[in-house]
Amino acid sequence: MRPIFLFFRLLTWFSLRNMRRYRIRTLIVLLGIALGAAVFSSVRLSVKATIDSFSQSMDRVAGHSDLVLSRPAGRIAEHLISDLTVHPDVAGATALMTTYVNPVIDDAEPFLLFGLDPLLDRTFRSWQVHSPENISNANWLSLIAEPSTLFISDVLARRYGWSAGDRITLEHSRRSAVFKVAGILSPEGMALVEGGRLAITDIASFQEFAGLHGVVDRIDLVLAPAAAKLRRETVLQRLAVTLPEDVRISVPSETKETGQAMMRSYHLNLSILSFASLFVGMFLVYSLVALNAATRRHELAVLRSTGASPGLLFFLFISEGCFLGLVGWMAAFPISSFLVKYLLSGISRTVSTLFVRVHVETLRLDAWEVLVSLTVTVFISLLASLQPAWEAMRVAPKEALATARQPVAHPMTARRLAGFAVILILCAWPISRLPAVGDVPIAGYVSIICLFVGFALLSPYGLQKSGKLLSPVLRRFGGVSAYLAGRYVRDSGTRTAVSAGALITAVALFAALVIMISSFRSTVELWVQQTVSGDLFVTTRLGSINRFRDPLPPAVVDGLKGLSAPVDLVPSRRFVLTHQKYFEYELDAMALDVFVRHGRFVWVDGDPERVLPQLIAGEGVIVSEVFANRAGLSKGDVYRAQVSNTLVEWPILGIIRDYRTSGGVVFCHLPAFRERYFDPGWSGVRLFFNRKTVDTATAIPQLRSEIIDRCGNHLDMVDGNELRRIVLRIFDETFAVTTVLLLIALLIAALGITTTLAVQVLERSRQLNTLFAVGADRRQIRAMIFWEAALLVVAGETAGLICGFILSYLLIYVINVQSFGWSFIYQVNWRVLGLSLPLIVITALLAAIPAVKLVFREPPATLLRQG
Amino acid sequence: MQEIIISAKKLTRIYVHGATEVIGLSRIDLEIGLGELVVFKGNSGSGKSTLLSLLAGLDHPTSGDLVVAEHDLAKTSERGLTLFRRQVIGMVFQSFNLLPTLNVLENVCLPALLAGWPYREIVIKAREYLNWMGLEHRMTHLPAQLSGGEMQRTAIVRALINDPAIVLADEPTGNLDSQNGEAVMALLGELNHKFKRTIIVATHSRLADPYATRQIYLKDGRIIGQP
Repeated sequence: MRPIFLFFRLLTWFSLRNMRRYRIRTLIVLLGIALGAAVFSSVRLSVKATIDSFSQSMDRVAGHSDLVLSRPAGRIAEHLISDLTVHPDVAGATALMTTYVNPVIDDAEPFLLFGLDPLLDRTFRSWQVHSPENISNANWLSLIAEPSTLFISDVLARRYGWSAGDRITLEHSRRSAVFKVAGILSPEGMALVEGGRLAITDIASFQEFAGLHGVVDRIDLVLAPAAAKLRRETVLQRLAVTLPEDVRISVPSETKETGQAMMRSYHLNLSILSFASLFVGMFLVYSLVALNAATRRHELAVLRSTGASPGLLFFLFISEGCFLGLVGWMAAFPISSFLVKYLLSGISRTVSTLFVRVHVETLRLDAWEVLVSLTVTVFISLLASLQPAWEAMRVAPKEALATARQPVAHPMTARRLAGFAVILILCAWPISRLPAVGDVPIAGYVSIICLFVGFALLSPYGLQKSGKLLSPVLRRFGGVSAYLAGRYVRDSGTRTAVSAGALITAVALFAALVIMISSFRSTVELWVQQTVSGDLFVTTRLGSINRFRDPLPPAVVDGLKGLSAPVDLVPSRRFVLTHQKYFEYELDAMALDVFVRHGRFVWVDGDPERVLPQLIAGEGVIVSEVFANRAGLSKGDVYRAQVSNTLVEWPILGIIRDYRTSGGVVFCHLPAFRERYFDPGWSGVRLFFNRKTVDTATAIPQLRSEIIDRCGNHLDMVDGNELRRIVLRIFDETFAVTTVLLLIALLIAALGITTTLAVQVLERSRQLNTLFAVGADRRQIRAMIFWEAALLVVAGETAGLICGFILSYLLIYVINVQSFGWSFIYQVNWRVLGLSLPLIVITALLAAIPAVKLVFREPPATLLRQG
Repeated sequence: MQEIIISAKKLTRIYVHGATEVIGLSRIDLEIGLGELVVFKGNSGSGKSTLLSLLAGLDHPTSGDLVVAEHDLAKTSERGLTLFRRQVIGMVFQSFNLLPTLNVLENVCLPALLAGWPYREIVIKAREYLNWMGLEHRMTHLPAQLSGGEMQRTAIVRALINDPAIVLADEPTGNLDSQNGEAVMALLGELNHKFKRTIIVATHSRLADPYATRQIYLKDGRIIGQP
């Protein structure tokens, strides 16, 4: 025990008191770590909250079901329930229907309406009714006793001021209807699905409302005890015998797992990006611990001469690093509590737009996430302090006899480091070509680390060479101050290189993400302009949120066909399907012969001149790049899918870019689909004015009026320009989170430069004051520090830019392709890069001011007299 | 016959800087008896600090034999030298070398703590020594709050706390004015004369002369005289 007490006593006397003595620099480092840890923790918490929210909703909907019956892109006959109820393997069967509806009031948001059998569903799912009067479980019977009644959640009741007995009007794709609120659901079980934004009605009322008599969305089964003990395959075979061929049997968790799989890549990439802030913060820890090891070298020698072992000094400095990590992590809490609200909102919105709908109402502090965040932060800090601790333990005790501070030779030469660095950099591309593991581009991430470490290790050699080459130029244009700065940068070795490494990492990330985002945006803009073309888009009311399950009524279709306005119609029928590799995608049967007169696809593979006529002739399909990559299909392969009760099979004629969904799109010609398989109807139609001289500002409102007159007001209509603006705004919002994380990483890098420059000044205070003693004035010495900062920053930015360009290729052609399945047309936004780089230089020079102030903190005479 | 506590035979230390060799000590033969106060004299670069660092186990000889208090330092491992410094040697430095974040009491207790003594016991002993040195009113003060003489007296107490067999002092008066320098040398003389400590002082000052039992002159790494 005594050695442990000794250690902690020494840690307090030697390390902690020193940190208190130099509290400004300690606080700067703690701030950097706190920012990094806050970003890392907040992103992980937000990501976990969205996953949990979605998973819990899916679990609550699944309830106690063992199996789920459904039909892809269709519905199943309700009478199957009675057949299944008498099946020996089935203990219970119940139907479930869902749709999003909109209350007909201002500022309303869609919510989920469940249609279920209140009697049968009680054993499947958990929901209770609460009413202000006597609480009675028999209230749920009122759903059956009175048609068009529903129970609403507590959240909806509070949001819209509804209570039991109120009559509310809800609208759906086909019609609106009035419902009576029979009661409020207790906030538990089903009532918590989708953040509590739901209502429950009797299935018959639902079918009446939706016009879906005799069919249901799914049938949930609970297996008999004997069947539950059998092998699953055996049970499925026995059930399949009694069911139509096109009915699919799945486990309830499949929807949850599909959704989680869709979100996984997004979440992983966000977590990696958040880790970058911690990674940059690691350089801060290194700077401070290295500073302490360097400036207190004499004290270390005294400790060694009085009996301290090298191991003791090693652990002292490791503990310093761990202490900084621990306290920085604790300081992250207040920052996290602010940051997490912003991130949660942004991430939830992105997930809901791109993947699955989530509503996160509360954020729980998960013990595991807290532990992960603490462990990673402290571990990173420990890693950062390894090298200074190693140097500290190697201080020779005889240095205690020295009266002057000796310059420290850095054993690892810049040239040797550069050799190792070049190998790492050259390995980055071949490593990145390795395939992903699942959806995780592990090799891609490893190659990125190789790049960062490689460029950081290259910086001592780069600084050496540039210092040497630039010295004559600096002397000519910057005077003796610039010349001396160049010489110092040349000779400063690995210590300066660490700060340069931090800057290189931050600048490379910044440049790579700017290029990636601008490439993505310009490609999306091209796609939006060419493929999302149209003057007016018409769909069923709430069609998009309900995944286009129901086509437009025939009367509406006839009304649209008879429009007198000079428009071309491009109808389409969309099906949301699940691929056997567990991702959702869309099959879009579209009138391509009309579309190609007004819009274009953005091609990846295939000659449009040849492919489009084949497509229109019904000889195949074209698929989006995302779908092709995720499904593992290429041009020439056969696309197969079950749509309702039909097996659709077509060769793939070409691959195009489409960013509509995360799973991709398959396009075919609507008339060909109708002829070959069945008439699917229309999900929607886009209208193009067929005269170029039309003034859309007045023509579109007139067109809307005509459509309402002919087809009724039960449609969603979006101006084409407005839709394209919305798509781009969603894109910009998606990357807003990324941009914030990046700016924080840059801030931490700036803090790193401040600390490193302070390290350099303090290590050289005797030299600097000697300059003063031999005739330099204070202005010249301060100018020298600024020149050093400028050279460091310019070198870091230059290397960072080169690294960033290479990184951008990795991000666009490896990480994105392996994570999400899509790539973009490479394009550099020179304007943003050109504007931001000087800003980074200015920020870094501002960061040099504290270091400059340190130069003459003590009187020169005092420093020159001391050892 | 006086017991020999330090014995050096053909002791040599050569420093290699790239292609250059610098001879710190060249074939030194030396014996020092228990209870002596020996002064190493010589100009800068004569080798006296090098010799002191070897005797203190702060450095390894290049060749030759060196036995200090029955420890063969030429053959002792790094770990062995660490233990040797804790148990056998007390060092006093020219620039005092007090740790700036520790107060006087803590600086004094440091070697004993490193040697594994219980803190409570060390504090009692340290207080006694500091009282004897007239530093009882400075125990909670940091080094920055002390005068040069007080710092050096604190350093001497630190050197004595483990009851070392030998006290080594490298230019103990080098950073002191003449009055404080005389006081410090008087202290070392008292330790030698009254308490029979073996003390070795490396200095070019004459303040140590009245207290020396022997003076050894060095020049260019060799002993040139032992009057």
